Amino acid sequence: MESLLQHLDRFSELLAVSRTAHVRTWDPVTVRRALQWARYLRHIHRRFGRHGPIRTALERRLHNQWRQEGVFGRGPVPGLASFQALGHCDVLLSLRLLENQALGDAARHHLVQQLFPGPGVPDADEETLQESLARLARCGSAVHMLRFNGYRKNLNLQEDSLMKTQADLLLERLQEVGKAEAEGPARFLSSLWERLPQNNFLKVIAVALLQPPLSPRPQEESEPSIHKTPGEGSQALVHWLLGNSEVFAAFCRALPAGLLTLVTSRHPALSPVYLGLLTDWGQRLHYDLQKGIWVGTESQDVPWEELHNRFQSLCQAPPPLKDKVLTALETCKAQDGDFEVPGLSIWTDLLLALRSGAFRKRQVLGLSPGLSSV
Amino acid sequence: MAQESVDLSCDYQFWMQKLSVWDQASTLGTQQDTCVHLARFQEFLRKMYEALKEMDSNTIFERFPTIDQLLAKACWNPFILAYDESQKILIWCLCCLINKEPQNSRQSKLNSWVQGVLSHILSALRFDKEVALFTQGLGYAPIDYYPGLLKNMVLSLASELRENHLNGFNTQRRMTPERLASLSRVCVPLITLPDVDPLVEALLVCHGHEPQEILQPEFFEAVNEAILLKKISLPMSAVVCLWLRHLPSLEKAMLHLFEKLISSERNCLRRIECFIKDSSLPQAACHPAIFRVVDEMFRCALLETDGAPEIIATIQVFMQCFLEALEKENKQLRFALKTYFPYTSPSLAMVLLQDPQDVPRGCWLQTLKHISELLREAVEDQTHGSRGGPLESWFLFIHFGGWAEMVAEQLLRSAAEPPAALLWLLAFYYSPHDGRQQRAQTMMAYVVAPCRRGNLQPCGQRHSPAPPRWPKTGHHM
Repeated sequence: MESLLQHLDRFSELLAVSRTAHVRTWDPVTVRRALQWARYLRHIHRRFGRHGPIRTALERRLHNQWRQEGVFGRGPVPGLASFQALGHCDVLLSLRLLENQALGDAARHHLVQQLFPGPGVPDADEETLQESLARLARCGSAVHMLRFNGYRKNLNLQEDSLMKTQADLLLERLQEVGKAEAEGPARFLSSLWERLPQNNFLKVIAVALLQPPLSPRPQEESEPSIHKTPGEGSQALVHWLLGNSEVFAAFCRALPAGLLTLVTSRHPALSPVYLGLLTDWGQRLHYDLQKGIWVGTESQDVPWEELHNRFQSLCQAPPPLKDKVLTALETCKAQDGDFEVPGLSIWTDLLLALRSGAFRKRQVLGLSPGLSSV
Repeated sequence: MAQESVDLSCDYQFWMQKLSVWDQASTLGTQQDTCVHLARFQEFLRKMYEALKEMDSNTIFERFPTIDQLLAKACWNPFILAYDESQKILIWCLCCLINKEPQNSRQSKLNSWVQGVLSHILSALRFDKEVALFTQGLGYAPIDYYPGLLKNMVLSLASELRENHLNGFNTQRRMTPERLASLSRVCVPLITLPDVDPLVEALLVCHGHEPQEILQPEFFEAVNEAILLKKISLPMSAVVCLWLRHLPSLEKAMLHLFEKLISSERNCLRRIECFIKDSSLPQAACHPAIFRVVDEMFRCALLETDGAPEIIATIQVFMQCFLEALEKENKQLRFALKTYFPYTSPSLAMVLLQDPQDVPRGCWLQTLKHISELLREAVEDQTHGSRGGPLESWFLFIHFGGWAEMVAEQLLRSAAEPPAALLWLLAFYYSPHDGRQQRAQTMMAYVVAPCRRGNLQPCGQRHSPAPPRWPKTGHHM
């Protein structure tokens, strides 16, 4: 067992080095050995990936590595990034080496020979490295062609395939990081927030929070995008959002009303903070007597329409959330003086707008005016 | 060898030009043209590889000075990379260009360049910058998530197609014909990639709402080819949709069956049955439109071969498989029998379509007499404009080998005077062309020597009597 774990260590180092200029010093023997190690580990993963003790030992070793390298705060893992990566670590290594122009002539020639031996007898048991690489190329082309010739962005972000894939990856990574270290996810997310394009990141978080929970499956090693207990990943996200008000404010600002309503319905812990934010935004607006509308003082203030939009969306949510929202609005209205006349309290005006909107909707649908709950 | 070499040079020029025109296959025209040529280009690549692997890098460049351009252009065309094994063969060709021991910086640079192109083929893809940044930021490489991404995209597209199919009236969410056509084109190189099956199935099954066919013919051809060569496995409903939407595919499937039957040396009935069942045609024929086309092709085959016994045997086995399949078919989708045999009187069709084994022995004579009567009526219907006449009825009758068999058996076993009706049937089965007088004579001959004709099998076996001979009178049905 110990020799296996050492193997893992050394391979992870190797993988990290394969990206650097250090490969200039590699000769064909080094290349061959590296590929052999990769093949060995891949074999181990295939045979023992589901086997409790061995898998746990390997995972723990990896987590130790990450902790030692302090990767959570810094950036992506230089070596092996996950347990599943072992399943195709030979492809990973091959691709890194191929991308590395620092490779010497002899080493390069040997690498190419090893990777692409040419037509020959196919391996009966396992897919050869050559086949895996060819399949990756084919898959990549397929994704490219579908992306540019058939794909259309789904307006419901949580159903969009690009978004879903990114969300799956985020949840999977969070879960892995969480296993390695209890405080891992929070630090990891913060470092991502600083490094990645923020708008896209926020959308991915929202979609991740809306992914359906899968029933826990025992020890299944299929594609990386399937995770065992998504609840953990989501919880980590919610926890982090609640702990970072600046991020949460950006989250609520950037995302469309409908999406936020879905997220807060799904994760009730977020609703008080969301409502709090909306209240803050509302209080920054004042009534312009001349124009007859509510306006903000600074350019980054949330305009009336957007505020109204969000409340309207929240009022269309199912009961627990909808009631909370209405109660909050009523409370604010009461605090302001409980006016019924428009133009004095933004909360009065919002409630009026929401009610009349609901009334008009019922008219359009041909329903009786009746006692709407708004 | 020299001739091959000249051929290769000609081909080389041809493909070089094509690749230049195609560029990255981003327009409708270039995509269509690429799709049509994919298989041939792959063959060319194979031939190139066979030639290149015998030479070293310098010789290669002497022989084909622009080889690097040719290969690079091919690598930039996603349709080529996506097709079958083309990406592998391209890689092998590129590997041939590498200098084992570079003598100068130019050769070194070439090696670097090859490495770069190989890397490009594998790490492809000029994807969304944001997505790439995100995944890299998380520490994932394309190999980690591309299979999952492909699956998500395929399923998402498939469900969009289904929704489009069902929600005809919601015009906002309709898939435009251009997008559908584009999708079908893009699937052509991907047909044999199993991950894409759900999308292929959805394209076949969901018709959309345009009156004319939108999907590209190259798509149907590619799917059909893959089905016939067993390179894809689709549910029966999708195959039926394919054959209903694209007639050439159905015809090709039938021709493929005929080819198999012809090329196989000795065809016992069991093997014929195997081939037929394997072709999925009996199940598909439960849809009357398909049945009619299949039947028409059998009729043509019969004409072309002057009534070859093998064809008749094939027809009879096909009918058995068809009737079995019809039995298993969902009861709700049953079509009236009339739709399978529109030119036959319903009563005749109904009685012929029964399973002879279902008829109790005591009723055999009655049933056969009835069949004889109805057939005779149809045959002797001399009114102008009636379709076909005797040959039409004969063609119908030979579909069902079981009845002729039953006649023979009944005649053999019964000691009494054979009824005229049965003799007529037998005579008609073997000689549909005979005039009245000739047939009467034949019937007399049967009374005298029933055992000389035919291959009378014991009860229960489904082998037809020795096949009837088609007289060479040049009649057409």
